[in-house]
Amino acid sequence: MAVRQVPPPTDEAEVVSLAQAGDREACEALAVRFRRPAYLLALQLLGNPDDALDVAQDSLMRFFITLGRFDGQRPVLPWLLTIVRNRARDIQRRQKVRRTESLDAVVESPRLTDYRRNPERETYGRELQRKIWQGLSRLDRARREILVLRDFQDLSYAEIAEILDIPVGTVMSRLHRARRGLRSVLEEELGGFHV
Amino acid sequence: MSEACPHSFDEQLLSGHLDHELTQAEEQQVRIHLEDCEVCREQFGQLELMRKASMSTPFATPDDEQWNEQPRTQTSRLFRGTGWILVLAWFTVSLGVAGWTFATEPGHPLIKLLVVSGLAGMGLLFVSVLLDRLRSAKTDRYRRVQK
Repeated sequence: MAVRQVPPPTDEAEVVSLAQAGDREACEALAVRFRRPAYLLALQLLGNPDDALDVAQDSLMRFFITLGRFDGQRPVLPWLLTIVRNRARDIQRRQKVRRTESLDAVVESPRLTDYRRNPERETYGRELQRKIWQGLSRLDRARREILVLRDFQDLSYAEIAEILDIPVGTVMSRLHRARRGLRSVLEEELGGFHV
Repeated sequence: MSEACPHSFDEQLLSGHLDHELTQAEEQQVRIHLEDCEVCREQFGQLELMRKASMSTPFATPDDEQWNEQPRTQTSRLFRGTGWILVLAWFTVSLGVAGWTFATEPGHPLIKLLVVSGLAGMGLLFVSVLLDRLRSAKTDRYRRVQK
């Protein structure tokens, strides 16, 4: 069996370039690196782990199908997340996705060390996370999308603008409206919260 | 309900400030305003808390084995859906025919009563177990753990 002499590429553009040339290891490296953010975005948009896995797998497949047309100098993540967002929209249009109301069904088990540090604060934080998760399902799709992209995915305004195909200048106003909407839901429907 | 800023401040700048996406001049404008306006200070604190809570939510992700599963295609979904519809239709029609035959065929009323109550009892037991299983399946986070 031939031993690969070339060291494994670390630069994203280089990995993309190798993948575009048909290198299976580079494709695998890209898939492993980006499947988690793809899944998380799908989960946060759809709220259902099974549908999220389907969308993430399907999006990765589409990403590799269209890889030949992709400009390797651009970052991969916004491009992939655009595919995920569009696939999530498609699935929401075609079928009624049942959003999981319980956050416990989609989060990791709590770590005991977290509780040891500051139990009250941790418990309050977890309660607020639950309320935000429930609140998201009460927002319309546009507001949910922009909130997820910024506050869960931590993307910049420029990246959000690219994914949502809107001007960068519109991101801040739309995001603020979404945040106010979520805050209202938390205050009016989910028992409020305090700073 | 949260109050609006009494100074008619452009509140979207609070989001820009929170996200470090403002120009230097806008940052300065927000800082000065926050020093004077309690309403906006409270709103900013809430937005900051919501963002921190969202960002720190520890979502679980699939393991390697789940990633290697083939995604369900549209065709397989279609076949599965059609299959379920046919099975349900067959079951409903068969049940209807059996029920009609049982009701119209001559027989002793006591025997009929025994058969009906026995079947109804078993049906109710099945439904109760099914409901419990469905409820626990939705919230069981360890359902994918290999045994």
